[in-house]
Amino acid sequence: MNPHDSEHDELTARLRALPAERVPPARVWQGIAAQLPAQAQVHPPAVAVATLPTRRRRERWPLRIGLGLAAALALLMVVPTPVPHTPAPSLLQRQADAMAGEYQQAIAALPSADVTDAWRPALYELDASADNIRAAIAENPRSRYLLGQLQRTYALRLELTQQAVLSAGLPT
Amino acid sequence: MRIPLSLIAALALCLPLVAQAATNVNERHPLGAGGRVEISNIAGKVTVRGWDRNDVALTGSMADGLTLKQDKSSNRVRWEVEYPRGRSNGGATLELRVPRSVEVQLGTVSADIDVADIDVRRLQANSVSGSITAAGRSGETTLNTVSGGIRSQLQTARLDARTVSGQLLAGGGASGEVAAESVSGRVNVNAGRIQRLAVETVSGSLDVSATGMAPGGKVTMQTVSGSVALKLPANVSAQLNVKTFSGGIQSDAGQVEKPRYGPGRSLDARLGSGDGDISINAHSGSVRVSLGR
Repeated sequence: MNPHDSEHDELTARLRALPAERVPPARVWQGIAAQLPAQAQVHPPAVAVATLPTRRRRERWPLRIGLGLAAALALLMVVPTPVPHTPAPSLLQRQADAMAGEYQQAIAALPSADVTDAWRPALYELDASADNIRAAIAENPRSRYLLGQLQRTYALRLELTQQAVLSAGLPT
Repeated sequence: MRIPLSLIAALALCLPLVAQAATNVNERHPLGAGGRVEISNIAGKVTVRGWDRNDVALTGSMADGLTLKQDKSSNRVRWEVEYPRGRSNGGATLELRVPRSVEVQLGTVSADIDVADIDVRRLQANSVSGSITAAGRSGETTLNTVSGGIRSQLQTARLDARTVSGQLLAGGGASGEVAAESVSGRVNVNAGRIQRLAVETVSGSLDVSATGMAPGGKVTMQTVSGSVALKLPANVSAQLNVKTFSGGIQSDAGQVEKPRYGPGRSLDARLGSGDGDISINAHSGSVRVSLGR
């Protein structure tokens, strides 16, 4: 056994015997309080030296805050921000969107610039109706009969556009 | 030589008449039962009447510049008014006489179609902006217009009527199978005893009544925002099913149910012994089901 070990054990025991907390006597606090202003007056350069880095540190804070905000802004612009939670489109809505896209593409492919006035109100009516049905599907995304109505409306729009294109140039 | 001023004035007044000189039409073709007659005319009017002869006759007048193209065979005749390219000075006013039990096909753009006193096997009338009026008897009937109205008083076992923005009125004994479809126009059907009735609009209102349903008959009514009214006799036998998303339901039979949470109303009721099916779907339109005496 090492002689240092016995000394260490003894020291440890004495340390453990010390009170865990020790309140300084009141006169100590009074002494500290009395010395604080005196210290400030006695050693003004020391205070000035001590405050200089503090001020510099304080002056750096707005810069740091600004840089932090700029970095956060850059991050927001680069990283996609989470959008407010909206329910994912239902299968029926996706079907409606796909159907609308297909029909609109087919209708747009027709040379409908020369369509006569006799046809235009009906074509406009069908477009407005298709929009109304899609709005209704958005409200009630499980209504299969609305999808059927949308399909029939677009089919009629395509059929009438074809007829209108074919009859373009004929007298009315 | 001096020309009297009055003569010059008279000639000047006659000039527009000469420019718009009408061409008379007077055609005739033998056609027995089962034959088919077709008329195609863009503008003006087409009138059809039945008669007790075994031939068809086309009379009337055409504006200057129009010609009548004919295509005839033993059991088929087709008359088509041909228009010059561009604007014409007017249309053609035609009257067609048809025998019994033939097929009649009519096609116009802006010309109105007026059919009455017929007894044909099949009637098909199509127009774009012209209105269609039909009365008489027809085994099968198809009436289509885009922006014109449809008014049918036909006794027919199968009626298929469609319009986009025009009103659709069908009465007078349409029975058997009836299909009426409109986008924004109002649909009003007064049917007889129905086997199958399908009525549909997007925004137009639906007003349907029938004197009865055949055993196992089926009624389907659908709309997005139009209101629905259905009137049936009290002794009808069917299973009634009504669904709306935001519209109200009123019914002489059954109880309206609402889910504890979320939108929608529904009604299921057994009418009589529940033989047939009545299905009504409305998104935002209101529904009224009446059971009469």
